[in-house]
Amino acid sequence: MISKPLLRSLIIWAIFIIGMLLLPKIFALLGFSKGNLRTLIQACYLAIFAMSWDFISGRTGYISFGHPFLVGIGAYTTAILSYRFDVPVMYSIPIAVIVTMIGGTLFFLPALRIKGSYFALVTLAFMELMYQLVQVIRPDLTGGTRGISGIETLTRGAVNGYYLAVSLMLVIAFVLWAILKTRIGTALSAIAMNEESVKGSGLSTTKLKLFAFMVSACVAGIGGAFLAHYNGSIAPRALFDINFLFTIIVAALIGGSSTIIGPMIGAFFLTLLLEKLRPWLPGAERYFVYGGIALLLYMYQPKGLYAIFWQVVDRFRTRRGGQS
Amino acid sequence: MFQILIQGLLLSGLYALIAVGFTLIFSVGRVLNLAYGVSLMVGGYTFFYTAQVLEMPKLVGVLLAIVVGAVFGLLKYRLLVKPLKGDHVAIEISTLILAVVIQAGIILVFGDATKILHSIIDGVWQFGTVSITANNVAAALGSWVLILGLYAFIKKTHIGRAMQAVSMDQKGAAISGVEPDKVNAATWVISGALGAAAGVFFASYTQLSPSMWVAPLIIAVAIVIVGGIGSIIGTLIVAHIIGFMEIITTTLFAAELRGVFTMILIIAVLVIRPRGLFGREEL
Amino acid sequence: MNAHLEISNLVKKFGGLTATNNMSFDVARGESVGLIGPNGAGKTTVFSLIMGEHRQNSGSISFDGTELTTLPTHQRINRGISRTYQVPRPFSEMDVRGNIRVGLMPNSIWQMLTKRYDPDRELELALSVGFAESDLDKAPSELSMGDLRKLELARTLATNPEMILLDEVFAGLTVGEIAQITDLLQQKREAGMSMVIVSHDLRSLQPLIDRAVAITYGSVVAEGKYDDVIADEAVRSAYLGL
Repeated sequence: MISKPLLRSLIIWAIFIIGMLLLPKIFALLGFSKGNLRTLIQACYLAIFAMSWDFISGRTGYISFGHPFLVGIGAYTTAILSYRFDVPVMYSIPIAVIVTMIGGTLFFLPALRIKGSYFALVTLAFMELMYQLVQVIRPDLTGGTRGISGIETLTRGAVNGYYLAVSLMLVIAFVLWAILKTRIGTALSAIAMNEESVKGSGLSTTKLKLFAFMVSACVAGIGGAFLAHYNGSIAPRALFDINFLFTIIVAALIGGSSTIIGPMIGAFFLTLLLEKLRPWLPGAERYFVYGGIALLLYMYQPKGLYAIFWQVVDRFRTRRGGQS
Repeated sequence: MFQILIQGLLLSGLYALIAVGFTLIFSVGRVLNLAYGVSLMVGGYTFFYTAQVLEMPKLVGVLLAIVVGAVFGLLKYRLLVKPLKGDHVAIEISTLILAVVIQAGIILVFGDATKILHSIIDGVWQFGTVSITANNVAAALGSWVLILGLYAFIKKTHIGRAMQAVSMDQKGAAISGVEPDKVNAATWVISGALGAAAGVFFASYTQLSPSMWVAPLIIAVAIVIVGGIGSIIGTLIVAHIIGFMEIITTTLFAAELRGVFTMILIIAVLVIRPRGLFGREEL
Repeated sequence: MNAHLEISNLVKKFGGLTATNNMSFDVARGESVGLIGPNGAGKTTVFSLIMGEHRQNSGSISFDGTELTTLPTHQRINRGISRTYQVPRPFSEMDVRGNIRVGLMPNSIWQMLTKRYDPDRELELALSVGFAESDLDKAPSELSMGDLRKLELARTLATNPEMILLDEVFAGLTVGEIAQITDLLQQKREAGMSMVIVSHDLRSLQPLIDRAVAITYGSVVAEGKYDDVIADEAVRSAYLGL
């Protein structure tokens, strides 16, 4: 009892998953180095954060500027638990995820209840204020300005690290996709189109937004916690940072907001682009070029590469259709 | 005590100017300009370049900064905000991207290192145990002059009254013959100019760096959330609440704890009075 | 008193502007009431107060004897009261079917996640307001004003209301569309649904209502039979400019 479009989606998923899992082999055949694989690992984590951001902001139009805050809570909680208190990773990561969900909700719930722009403002303010706080409150735990290094790592070698990151990304993508397939997905998109009308349909938009936010925080917490255990170190300026926020948002938008595949495309595209630019543009120039490209692309098509791809396909199809 | 009072007043004056430039666009155009902090940075660096690199008179530097800020504001409106047709989400995002791009641009031109801005006015005044730099007094006075100038502009001139009308009721203002495009453009120009001036003052208070746009943006954001939109007086009062809170925490506790109280204040206001202490209810 | 909807002494101020000033009126179960008055009299404001989109400064609104004042909008809707808007507010990037789907959703995350939508019910509702089956895939941008009002009505009816508040249902419609909507509303009336209708189109309004309530400057100035209210001196001077 599987309908045709669903079957087609599932087949695309299967091809995609196999492709991602085979990527290291393909890389090896093409003669890329381990360094390239490490770049892909960063891309996987960026994709997780971008999907997390997109689940609330891309869907409902409530722009979160506080995702680094959520990622940061996840990373810091597991780092502190495992490094300072020797909690095994199998406990510290789940705890970190729960703390991220609870902490994020406590801070952002008041803002979720009111209009969209305020949510953006509050999340932005909290991310920056958290950066100040993490350095001064109990620096014996957080490591102050320098952060913590020497955190237990989960995998050895780039290949294993890649498999862990990519599996994590794929599982999260699939779960989010399945959630959005239900009526929840429709309701969340409806909020972005006209929140008053969603309320007017008898639905509590606060409840819906809270749900979206909790899922988003959960994903951000998972990503943050695993990333801390992959890198083996955390530092406040790397996490609670506007440039990090910028990278997450741009990845989601460039790829295609409000889709599952889009943020992943965006994350891989941007990470590889930054890597390719590195030899020519070693410093800040990169952000200049890459931000400029992002801005132009966004102004041209706010729905990102994914939408541009379909536009081109459609144009091609109609042209061919017209000739026959 | 006296020290807290004087320093609080000086800092709050500057914060008021920073917040007024930001809230102006939020109340008239109903959009968030996350590149507002960049206006301050542009102002600060323009002053640095003219007064310290080209060694022109400081007054010329300040005026030039204001002009560049105004032009920057106009460009933002024409190239970003207008094409996006008031789409809030798109404007929030594109102004943020713009801010990061300009930050990178500043690093390209001026380098990554922080720069110390020479005082606009030299000298230190001694009041008993309290010493105040003439520069900080000048910054606060300059801020107040600009705020009062803005107030007079809004109350007395045609375009100022039109701005007020648009901020209260966009449709109604359009019906009564106000051209929203002109009013919006004027708002962005004024906000850019005020921001640039605030940037010169702010940079002379602290220092010049490519990431200096974040802190004033957060200050403006906090003041707008706590104060609400639609009231200049409200913005001024909240600027003083936050300014004094910062000075008090810095002197009595630790400078790094400034943020904690601001955060608590934001959450409290959102829970108790979501439209802000002085915000009006939307029709 | 066993009024279905009871509005008493409602005061709402926006800054210096008084939108409703001590307004009171009742609607009995199964009754249809026409709300008339000049622009800015406070008709739309009453609707938004009843739905909880704004909170009144004082006065009370009760529905089946329950005070609504502290309830959020969606809970009022779940109690059986629902409204349409003067300017239709569809979900612009969803087709007709999707718009109706949102209206039919239960206010429960768990049910939304676990239960599938019901395409038959969606179709039934669309047909009941006069859409053709081929209209279901249309985007709101392809619809006429009449179709948009039908869509709005369908989404409102999807919440299964006992009472509907209709704001300028006839504005911008062709004669044919007015007749269509009128038929639909008459059917709902016969089925026992209570209504409050705001309309400037008095000729179309008259056959749909049992009683008229005239308001100016936020207060009720006359109520009773349509003909009596229209003949009332105060109403004529304020509304018709006679």
